[in-house]
Amino acid sequence: MEHLSGFVLPNSGHNRDDEASKMGMWLFLFTELLLFGGLFIVYMVYRMLNHEAFLLSSFELNVTLGTINTVVLLVSSMTIAMAITAIQKGDKKTSVRLLLTTLGLSLVFLVIKYFEWSAKIHHGLFPGMDFYNNLPKGEALFFFLYFIMTGLHALHIIIGAVLIGVVVHRTRQNKVNQEKYALTENAGLYWHLVDLIWIYLFPLFYLIH
Amino acid sequence: MEKHDKQSDHAPVHISSYRDHWSTLVTLLLLTVVTVVISVFGANLAALSVATALLIATVKVIVVAYYFMHLKYDKKLYTWLVLLVAILFLAFTVLTAIEYFNR
Amino acid sequence: MTAVSTQLSFFDTRKGLFSWIFSVDHKRIALLYLYSLITFFLVGVTLGLLMRYELLNPGKDLVEAKTYNQIFTLHGVIMIFLFIIPSIPAVFGNFFLPIMLGTDDVSFPKLNLLSWWVYIVGALMALSTLVFGDGPADTGWTFYAPYSVKTGTNVTMSVLAAFVLGFSSILTGLNFIVTIHRLRTPGMTFLKMPLFAWALYATSWIQLLATPIIGITLLMITAERVLGVGLFDPSIGGDPILYQHLFWIYSHPAVYIMALPAFGVISEMLPTFSQRTIFGYKAIAFSSLAIAFVGYFIWGHHMFTSGMSGTARFIFSMLTFLVAIPTAIKVFNWVATLYKGSINVQPPLLYTLAFIFQFMIGGFTGLVLGALATDIHLHDTYFVVGHFHYVMFGGTGFAFFGALHYWYPKIWGRMYNITMANIAFVIFFIGFNMLYFPMLIVGLMGMPRRYYDYLPEFHLPNMISTYGSWVLATGLILMLANLAAGFFKKGPKVGRNPWNGITLEWQTLSPPPVQNFDRMPEIPLNGPYDFENKPAIKE
Repeated sequence: MEHLSGFVLPNSGHNRDDEASKMGMWLFLFTELLLFGGLFIVYMVYRMLNHEAFLLSSFELNVTLGTINTVVLLVSSMTIAMAITAIQKGDKKTSVRLLLTTLGLSLVFLVIKYFEWSAKIHHGLFPGMDFYNNLPKGEALFFFLYFIMTGLHALHIIIGAVLIGVVVHRTRQNKVNQEKYALTENAGLYWHLVDLIWIYLFPLFYLIH
Repeated sequence: MEKHDKQSDHAPVHISSYRDHWSTLVTLLLLTVVTVVISVFGANLAALSVATALLIATVKVIVVAYYFMHLKYDKKLYTWLVLLVAILFLAFTVLTAIEYFNR
Repeated sequence: MTAVSTQLSFFDTRKGLFSWIFSVDHKRIALLYLYSLITFFLVGVTLGLLMRYELLNPGKDLVEAKTYNQIFTLHGVIMIFLFIIPSIPAVFGNFFLPIMLGTDDVSFPKLNLLSWWVYIVGALMALSTLVFGDGPADTGWTFYAPYSVKTGTNVTMSVLAAFVLGFSSILTGLNFIVTIHRLRTPGMTFLKMPLFAWALYATSWIQLLATPIIGITLLMITAERVLGVGLFDPSIGGDPILYQHLFWIYSHPAVYIMALPAFGVISEMLPTFSQRTIFGYKAIAFSSLAIAFVGYFIWGHHMFTSGMSGTARFIFSMLTFLVAIPTAIKVFNWVATLYKGSINVQPPLLYTLAFIFQFMIGGFTGLVLGALATDIHLHDTYFVVGHFHYVMFGGTGFAFFGALHYWYPKIWGRMYNITMANIAFVIFFIGFNMLYFPMLIVGLMGMPRRYYDYLPEFHLPNMISTYGSWVLATGLILMLANLAAGFFKKGPKVGRNPWNGITLEWQTLSPPPVQNFDRMPEIPLNGPYDFENKPAIKE
């Protein structure tokens, strides 16, 4: 944007506006919710049509690992919320530490997910594999939905982790500080959304038997 | 160019304490334990378990949104918008479910 | 950092291609959209003319059945996703929303530029099916499963293009909502906003909350084609009706993404050319929100003949009638605005009146289709084709061209030839009605849609329709040629307020400077259309 001489409006779109960035983030989260919402509708319909098959297939999933991952995400949600408290209090060092903890927990989540997925893939349960193709229709749908929903969720975890990495970098550069922490807040909102979606995914896939 | 700081146009920022965050986490963990226990040990309550699991999940989501996502201290507008989105999604599922129940 | 004078127009601040395609100025982005939209629109029109030519006589005139299917799919995809969904919001919304609110840009200018780029990528993906792969999709723009899963044509690319275009739409909607919440000029409350801003606000909420559902649905179609999962194909365990549900959960609200901005434009032009306040400001403003809200719950009326359960069909039919109420409220208020106004007949007003007339035909035929019993008879006939062209083209299309004539002097600072514009309008209007009215009649006679051929008894109306398409094309060429003058900097210069309008965009220079205003805009005392207390505008 050119530097303007002469008249400038007080309510310029080029002013810093933290409330606007927060609102933008919330609106973006709504679109994310409905993106997953479409998948939840598909899940609901096929569960209604294949009730027994969905129950049986859910026994294949490991409740212990699912529970651990739930706890990991909940704790990470707390650490990032604390990181915001820390930056608001001007404690950049603690904020960075808490952000790094969140980042570490996201890695733990992904590693556990990796082991879960590779066990399933080892059994040939991934869509397109021979074993999968011979599954009854209901089971096939369950595993397809399992992979696409947890896969899309894992993708969001990765995006969230990258975002947190950016916040850490910016905080160290002092571009994020006690007066200016909208980025930390928005990363936090995004991370909580990832948590929210998992809160529904966990019972729907792991706990329905 | 003159910068107008838009932060000044609303009330002082509410800072949640570390302690509050800890209590929120404990609540969430307790709810997780309840839902897992019902599912694993209450298998004979099969019909109840999906409804309870979803109910508990919804409570957890509300706790996260209200405290971690700061809805409690933000402008009321955000709470209304979240409710709007929730109602909309609920309407989608209910209308679709009505269709499939009556096939 | 170069200093830019407040008086210099946004055309003159910087030159060169890159200063346009990487500009974050909302006015330049709006024009980027305008030029790309018109280009794609002309491609779509050409495809439409080809289809009409094929239907001139029974039997084969021009193309094979499969080619015809591909042409009508591409016509639908281009016209819906590339033209009519972005049309008014992306061009006039981008250009005039910030100016009407009295600010200098949208809240996220860079995001705005990104959404244009995403749009261009999506458009290129859609058009690439013409050249690469096994030809454009032949499924119809709805990509109904299971055919879309089985056909050998390039459905995957078309579907991904629609997915990418959806993102562009979401980003524009998000930007507008935040802009309206955060950047209104001091003193402009929500209830002092122009009705165009209200219409865009309602539209943006639909773009934001409905588009993600189609995004994920289209991804599932892709997954099904690539991985062979039985999601929607019944032969491998899927449910094709579920696809239709998900598709219309988005695509029915999308109808209001197309229609609501048109309502907004009409509500701007009527007060200006009647020189009096709009009748029922609040009713029009809130009916936009009501339409947006009710529009989410009536998607099932597209599926009455798909094998949905009887209960659901009944509920959806009932709900569909609800949406007629806020729409009728708008039409009554528009007509009441004209009453006792000092009417100034100019090209934009002609388009407005044509809009009201044609949109009413579209709306009433819509009620016929929303009624369960009549829909069963008419659903797969040309009646539906006639109906939605009356709503989309006769409604939104005419509003788009009306808006172009209305805001033209503000955008380019010059006036087109008004006599020529009137002549082009008359030809365009006659051509339009010749083209689509016979479709309603052949539809009632029972001519099925989507085929490249028809029985000899339907010959006469089809001939009239095809001749109409040529008249329409003539009118369109005349209109665009007349308007092209501005692009080449011809035509007499105009001052700030050639139409004697009242909203804020008429208080600034034509064309506006980069920062939109050269002095603080003044808002009228009692609401945006308070002609009695209109602030005096000095040149």
